[in-house]
Amino acid sequence: MLNIMLVCSAGMSTSLLVSKMNKVAESRDLDVKVFAVAEADVKNNLDKVDIVLLGPQVRYLLPRMKEMMEPKGIPVEVVDTISYGTMNGEAVLNQALSMVKE
Amino acid sequence: MSRIDEVFETLTYLEKEKGEGVSATDIASILETDRSNISRYLNILYRKGKLEKIDGRPVLYKSIKDNNKKIYDKNVHLVDTNNSLDKMVGSAQSLDVPIQKAKAAIMYPPKGLHTLLLGETGVGKSMFAELMYQFAIESKTISGDAPFIKFNCADYVDNPNLLNAQIFGVKKGAYTGAHKDKEGLLTQANNGFIFLDEIHRLPPQGQEMLFTYIDNGFFRPLGETEKVVYVDVRIIAATTENPNSHLLKTFTRRIPMIITLPPIRERTLYERYMLIENFIKEESRRIGKSIYINKNSIISYLLYDCPNNIGQLKSDIQLACAKAFLKYKSGDEDYIFINQGDLPNHVRKGILQINEYRDEVDELLNSTYDILKFNQYEEPPLPLNINIDDETSDFYTVIEKKFESLKKSGMNEQDINEIMNVDIESHFKKYIGYIYRRYDKSKISKVVDEEILQVVEEILLLAQKYLEKEFDEKIYFGLSLHLERSIERIKNGEKIYNPRLNFIRINYEQEFLFAMKIAKIIDNKFCIETPVDEIGYLAMFFATDSNKMDKETNTKVGIVVVMHGRSTASSMVEVANSLIGVEHAVALDMPLSMKPKIMYELTKEKVQQIDEGKGVIMLVDMGSLTTFGDMIWEETGIEVRTIERASTPIVLEVLRKAVMGYNLDEIIEVLDENSFHREDMLIDKVNKNVIITACFSGDGASKKLQSILNSTLLNKNIDIMTINIIDEEKVETRLHRLSRQYNIIAIISTVHIDIEHIPYISAIEILHGKGIEKLQQIIDEESMYLKISESLTEHLTSIDGEEITKDIKYLIHILENRLEIEVISDVKMGIILHISFLVDNILNGISPRSFENLDVYRDSYWREMNIIKESFAFIEQKYEVFLGEDELAYILKLFLLNQISV
Repeated sequence: MLNIMLVCSAGMSTSLLVSKMNKVAESRDLDVKVFAVAEADVKNNLDKVDIVLLGPQVRYLLPRMKEMMEPKGIPVEVVDTISYGTMNGEAVLNQALSMVKE
Repeated sequence: MSRIDEVFETLTYLEKEKGEGVSATDIASILETDRSNISRYLNILYRKGKLEKIDGRPVLYKSIKDNNKKIYDKNVHLVDTNNSLDKMVGSAQSLDVPIQKAKAAIMYPPKGLHTLLLGETGVGKSMFAELMYQFAIESKTISGDAPFIKFNCADYVDNPNLLNAQIFGVKKGAYTGAHKDKEGLLTQANNGFIFLDEIHRLPPQGQEMLFTYIDNGFFRPLGETEKVVYVDVRIIAATTENPNSHLLKTFTRRIPMIITLPPIRERTLYERYMLIENFIKEESRRIGKSIYINKNSIISYLLYDCPNNIGQLKSDIQLACAKAFLKYKSGDEDYIFINQGDLPNHVRKGILQINEYRDEVDELLNSTYDILKFNQYEEPPLPLNINIDDETSDFYTVIEKKFESLKKSGMNEQDINEIMNVDIESHFKKYIGYIYRRYDKSKISKVVDEEILQVVEEILLLAQKYLEKEFDEKIYFGLSLHLERSIERIKNGEKIYNPRLNFIRINYEQEFLFAMKIAKIIDNKFCIETPVDEIGYLAMFFATDSNKMDKETNTKVGIVVVMHGRSTASSMVEVANSLIGVEHAVALDMPLSMKPKIMYELTKEKVQQIDEGKGVIMLVDMGSLTTFGDMIWEETGIEVRTIERASTPIVLEVLRKAVMGYNLDEIIEVLDENSFHREDMLIDKVNKNVIITACFSGDGASKKLQSILNSTLLNKNIDIMTINIIDEEKVETRLHRLSRQYNIIAIISTVHIDIEHIPYISAIEILHGKGIEKLQQIIDEESMYLKISESLTEHLTSIDGEEITKDIKYLIHILENRLEIEVISDVKMGIILHISFLVDNILNGISPRSFENLDVYRDSYWREMNIIKESFAFIEQKYEVFLGEDELAYILKLFLLNQISV
């Protein structure tokens, strides 16, 4: 099971994207779980995460998150703006998966 | 052969036969036409120098043949007192020098001199120019059929291209709208004269072209690159400008002969008397009757202050003649007699100056009686075109004239008919009411033929039976006078035109059918054939509800036009009032220096003054003026409605409706559904990205920028438009309009243009290449925005994605400015998504989250919090949501933490 955490400012915009990503994963028979958290809740979810994606608007978290997560082998990236903006579940999922392979 | 040639031929034929002069009646009997028409042609021929006139009764005419015994010696002619110039009033007095100069200009070898006429409004510059031309014919310096072309440079002042094209001609495609080659007036004037009035209105390009012609004898039509045109034309230019003005210096340097015509106050009383006499005689000739005037009135005309000179004197005299004529026609007087009461007020005051000029006046009028008689009706009568008040003049003529002038103004037929509708309607009401006041039954028989009165009585009896309506005396009088004129008109074969015909046919079917019936009666009785247009008018008599008519004088909605600028409002109002033919709309000009507070008081006062109880419509352009209406309404209780961004057509439409008695709501309602948002509606929003390049001319730098961009930008879906900065309309206004039509993604210009949230890049940056990068970034961002807004439209449930994207984009722009920070475009996208989902969620009932330690955060960022609250107000209002401080704090945090550190 691959746990992907999507961080955004308030969880307002991500819930839709998350459900889309889960649907794509399901249709592809992937053992993936995507979940969204607001910035404030990040620290409570760190133990069950394999990949961290940041919404473009919380890009400012990137340096801190990288510093914290990368030593644990957990990759952190900002979601591609267009994929995020267009709620393209498939593209964001692909981005997450490509991060693992690296 | 044209009619005028026919007349000339006949004259020479009769002349040979009789061996003496020929009268108009002689020719009329041979050509079997109306004598007055022949007289008109003879006069034209006389003015062209083809005929000689032998004064007497009747006036006889003789042809002047080119191989006449009188071979004109130019030198002899100079002192001949029988030429057009020397016949002018004052030729031996104050016009002596001007006339000498004019002659010299014409006779100067080899081809005469170009002339500049200077003088105040109304001193007679046009007439002087025309007489110079006639003198040139008389002195044989130009041939008898040489052209005299008149052109007023002020006519096309809004369109320099068209103006230049009129004068110099144009080659197809020289500018937008030049669809074909066109010969200019200068070419048409070849071998003759061109008279350019108000030459100071000629745009620089035209001046340049004119000077080329003056210096070299040739010019180049607009858009012509190859050949030049050689013509032989004498220019007479005229202007009211002060000769020392900068503008005029360019002309005085190039035009060798300068003639100044004196204003009326510098002319002698004797000359003024001669002018007065001439004008009264002219009127007498028009009417075909003698005109009497009392001595005091003459004195008033001699002494009153007449700032617009001869032109004003003439129209002030015409006005009095018209009033006197009216009294005569209505039977109050047996003669056409002008007394003090007929004089316009400002003229009447003239007599108060008598003490200063008593000796001169006595000398001048000593020998005359107390009442002076002027007549010149042995001269062929001129067509009667006195501008008596609309109500009494022959309204056929009024309507035709108005129609013509509206047509000339370039309006289309439908609009004209709309305007004319009101006109005719209000005219009818006034006409009928007026006549009723003027006449009683015993008097009308003096004016109207007994036979006609009988028919009218018969018709009214029939009308009562057929239409089951009572018709009172008003209709009786109105119809009688109307028939008198219309029958005469039909008999003379003059056209009758009724622009309302179709409206009447449809809306007053009953009355129209009845009118057809009575037309038959009239036809039989008077042996005429009533045209259908006239039947339409007849129908209106029966359609007019005379009870309603009485109410017509009652209240209308008031109209006040308030605009920025020294004369914007007044000129709009002037146009509207004169087109509708009323004085109902009023104007208030607001010079830019005036404080809104003072303007408000003025406006309030005006509104109170014009309100007739039905409320007032305020037409304004913009800014603080748009708020006045509601404030006045509140303060005074007078219902005020405001129409913003008003233009002349809107004023016209509102005025029209008000005059027709519509109430406030009806007028506003009609406007709303009517075409007046036409401008907005016509502009279809094209979802096209556009980059604007601008420079002063719209031609140089901006074109260069355009070509750079075209070759460097990758995205071919972007149009690049060039505009100029110098234009009467402000750049901002034009850009606002464009932005409604296109999606303007950037403005590149040689000067800084700051409009809303449209990014600006300087021309220099582009030339250095740095700007291109910036631009490319903007373009990429733009395509991102587009994709996001499309997807948002799909995913949002309660709001429109495109709309809110635009709003948030604007919001971000404002916040960046006010918080003095910058965020990168990826972050902007995220923020757009965040806010739009936030708004959507709250609208769907999801409650906002709370912000941890809000109090602390608010205390440390109180300034920023205030800014963000203010900036969000418009979104909260527009989407009717309340975001709350917690959410705003989250948003502020996004901005602050994401800012690009410099």
